[in-house]
Amino acid sequence: MTPTASWTFKVFVKKLRMLLANQQFLLLVVLLAMIGFFTALNPIFFSSAVFGNILLDWGPVVLIAVGETFVVISGGIDLSVGANVGLSGVVAAYAMEAMTNSHQGQNFTIFIGLLVATGVGTFIGLINALLITKARIVPFIATLATLGAAGGMSIVFTGGGPIAGGPDKAITLSVPWLGPLSTPGIVVIILVTVIGLFLHKARFGRYTYAIGSNSFAARIAGINVQLHLTKVYALSGLLAGLAGMYFYLRLGSGAPTSGAGGELDAIAAVVIGGASLSGGIGRMSGTILGAFILTTVTSGLIIIGVAPDWKQVVVAVLIAAAVLVQGLRSSARDI
Amino acid sequence: MAKIGDILLEVKNISKSYGSVVALTDVNMNVRAGEVVGLVGDNGAVKSTLVKVLSGAYQPTSGSIFLDGIERHWASPHEAIDAGIETLYQDSGLAPHLSVSANVFLGREKTVPGLLGRMGFLSQKYMDMTAHADLDRVGIAVPPSSRSVSRLSGGQRQAVAIGRAVSWASKVIILDEPTNHLGARQAGEVLAVIKAVKARGLGVIFISHTLPHVLQVTDRIVVLRLGKAVCNAPTSEFDADRLLGTITGLIETT
Amino acid sequence: MLSPRKTRKARIAALFAIGTISLLVVAGLAAPAQAATKKLTIAFVMGAEADPFFKAMKVGAEAEAAAKGVSLIWQGDPSEYSPATQIPIVDQVLAQKPDGLVLIPTDPTALQNSVAKAVAANIPVINVDTHVGDLTNVLSFITGDNADGGRKAADAMAKAIKYKRGTKYQVVVGLTSATATTNVARLQGFQTRIKSSYPGIKIVDKAYSQSQPAKANTNVSNWLTKYPKLNGIFAIDGTNASGAASALQAKGLTGKIALIGYDAYKTNVDLIKKGVFTALIAQNPAAEAKLAIDYLVTYLTNGRSKADIKALVTIPNVVLSKTTSALDLKKYTYVQ
Repeated sequence: MTPTASWTFKVFVKKLRMLLANQQFLLLVVLLAMIGFFTALNPIFFSSAVFGNILLDWGPVVLIAVGETFVVISGGIDLSVGANVGLSGVVAAYAMEAMTNSHQGQNFTIFIGLLVATGVGTFIGLINALLITKARIVPFIATLATLGAAGGMSIVFTGGGPIAGGPDKAITLSVPWLGPLSTPGIVVIILVTVIGLFLHKARFGRYTYAIGSNSFAARIAGINVQLHLTKVYALSGLLAGLAGMYFYLRLGSGAPTSGAGGELDAIAAVVIGGASLSGGIGRMSGTILGAFILTTVTSGLIIIGVAPDWKQVVVAVLIAAAVLVQGLRSSARDI
Repeated sequence: MAKIGDILLEVKNISKSYGSVVALTDVNMNVRAGEVVGLVGDNGAVKSTLVKVLSGAYQPTSGSIFLDGIERHWASPHEAIDAGIETLYQDSGLAPHLSVSANVFLGREKTVPGLLGRMGFLSQKYMDMTAHADLDRVGIAVPPSSRSVSRLSGGQRQAVAIGRAVSWASKVIILDEPTNHLGARQAGEVLAVIKAVKARGLGVIFISHTLPHVLQVTDRIVVLRLGKAVCNAPTSEFDADRLLGTITGLIETT
Repeated sequence: MLSPRKTRKARIAALFAIGTISLLVVAGLAAPAQAATKKLTIAFVMGAEADPFFKAMKVGAEAEAAAKGVSLIWQGDPSEYSPATQIPIVDQVLAQKPDGLVLIPTDPTALQNSVAKAVAANIPVINVDTHVGDLTNVLSFITGDNADGGRKAADAMAKAIKYKRGTKYQVVVGLTSATATTNVARLQGFQTRIKSSYPGIKIVDKAYSQSQPAKANTNVSNWLTKYPKLNGIFAIDGTNASGAASALQAKGLTGKIALIGYDAYKTNVDLIKKGVFTALIAQNPAAEAKLAIDYLVTYLTNGRSKADIKALVTIPNVVLSKTTSALDLKKYTYVQ
């Protein structure tokens, strides 16, 4: 091989490795491949209606995954989000049932339900924050405790069954009216975009990265690390509360099992999206795509007639691939 | 701004213990405007403890801290920073995943004007340009401002850390082992920066175990031994042997 | 440094959280503690405490236990219907040495060993609702007639889609798990009846929702897209019924696609009136629990004689629809 040829080859390899190390690019490739695969097996997959179904599932997953993105970038983890979704959903359901019984207007009732759900969610987030920043319990254990407490409480409150009796209008809000988009879906897209800007363009995100990257550096730079972490966990809780309300609007009732195991979907979306569980790394676009891939797998498997349980296997492969790419990325850097 | 020669930062009878373990005992020292004070001797932990007390990261068990002759109690590093004391910590003062300019501006971000600015949206362009200019002014070869710190060499990281401290300090800079792990040329650049900082009338506390660097750049040397300040004298009174003897205790001091 | 006030607040918060958790734990342990009294103790291990079906069963069990003067240990996983969590629960309950055990096995083979353990400890076992594979050592198996429920669902489906010979129809079935014997029996009854009486109906798809209404909703939403000519949905239990009902409503297909549900959760019964459910098949869990306790008490107080005990009892299911009287609707609605 001539020196020139070997040099060109090296540049090619380097470029290829850099492209492969670009998580967003890879995720798009994976997503397109999946869409192609499912469409080939059943052409009906490539339709606005299926896209609408995927977006319907995507809403709550991306809401809690976005919160989880902040938590993971800050170097922590929030296991309580799934249970939080269930609890905030049923508490909101009780509030809306009571208001409906006293003949309040439907829009007003739904609005109050939204406030209650986000309030409960934020409250759980604040308990996490207190346990982590003040009682100095590691995030894994602290949020594992609130997972158990919130999950238990939603079953104690409801006696297990779904809580309905709220406004009739709730469920019709989940009907798509803008192409494949429903009102909750549109709200989620706007919200996720705005929060993404706060992660990448604003001080809030900058501090989150700094704390996850080196919390000592953040502290000596004058950042109030405890206060910022409190905000991060509160945000995660608030978004879980919103997801609880989202499930209510979808099911027309608040079920204590809604969101069960959702923390695993959220963490999977975040990791597939390229974030590192050791903190400091992660992109909102990655999380959004990660969540989208998860829900595409769910709908795709149903459409092609494979048991959705296979989703677990596909997700496991994606997580392994994501971690592999992370290693590739750091080695690409060393060239 | 204090005149050259005024005492800027002074500590009196500082002690620090962790439970029954005593790290510092009755340490007295000061630094004047336009002066470089070398802090040598003892093990790294003792020196680091003193640095953290000076910079507000630790609270002393007893003793007092004065800035411009006024007694101060730093409850957090933030308060020391606000008072004009910047500290460069050994190896750990930067967030590796953030860019050079994000590190220089960490905790002091510049926001865009208007409502978006009040919501915390950052003026990244301004920070990139200013960070580059600041580092350039300090006289160190600077990497592009938008590059992530984890992709810099050890020398470049140190340059960023020093540049960051220099561009924000208004009174005193504490440099904990700034020449550690650096090659001769890079270490020379750092020492040149210290002289430039001194010329601007700031007080510099220079902690190092590389004695030639200490002799080369400082005006005064404080020697720590077993948690006590055993010697505090002008650098002109030392040569390499005498400094080593004082540190090891072979040369008695009173 | 933390101010003392802040630290105290933090401690209170931590205590609050820990307190909540321990309360839940204590609440869980309180029931077995009653086993110390001298009267007969009957342990009741069911699937998932969260499920209104079991809540309704608990009401029946508690009422009968009080009437017969026996103490009741009521245990199950808080929310998960799974042998992995049920087996250790059975072990714990057996350690309390109850006089009799009512077991609702979450899996026919996985729980077989637990039955053997109980019988070895001289504790008689009755299965309710679902059963273990080998019933040799089980005193009695009391169940809603799930196969009959499945057949009734097929009849209700045919009626709802106005079945005509020679026409083709598409229906889907939403299940919770592939092994739960109630699911299996209902599906079997449904399939058998369709084969013999309504050959034009084709079951085009099945999927599992693992006790989560949202997952059932996802399944049905996608089916509605996949099968534009779908005629009917058979939601085989309460969870699937909730999920299917909400999916139909959100797609604006209420009344256009026949929905035959199972289990009379209050939320589902309310949806009969709105026309979302064409019919709802209901069991009588309270009656099943009552009979199970009666049998155990009889057996234990009658010198362990099987004389008055039937090895298999089926309690028929009922079909609830728009024409069912309000009184009956109320009677069969599961207590929550």
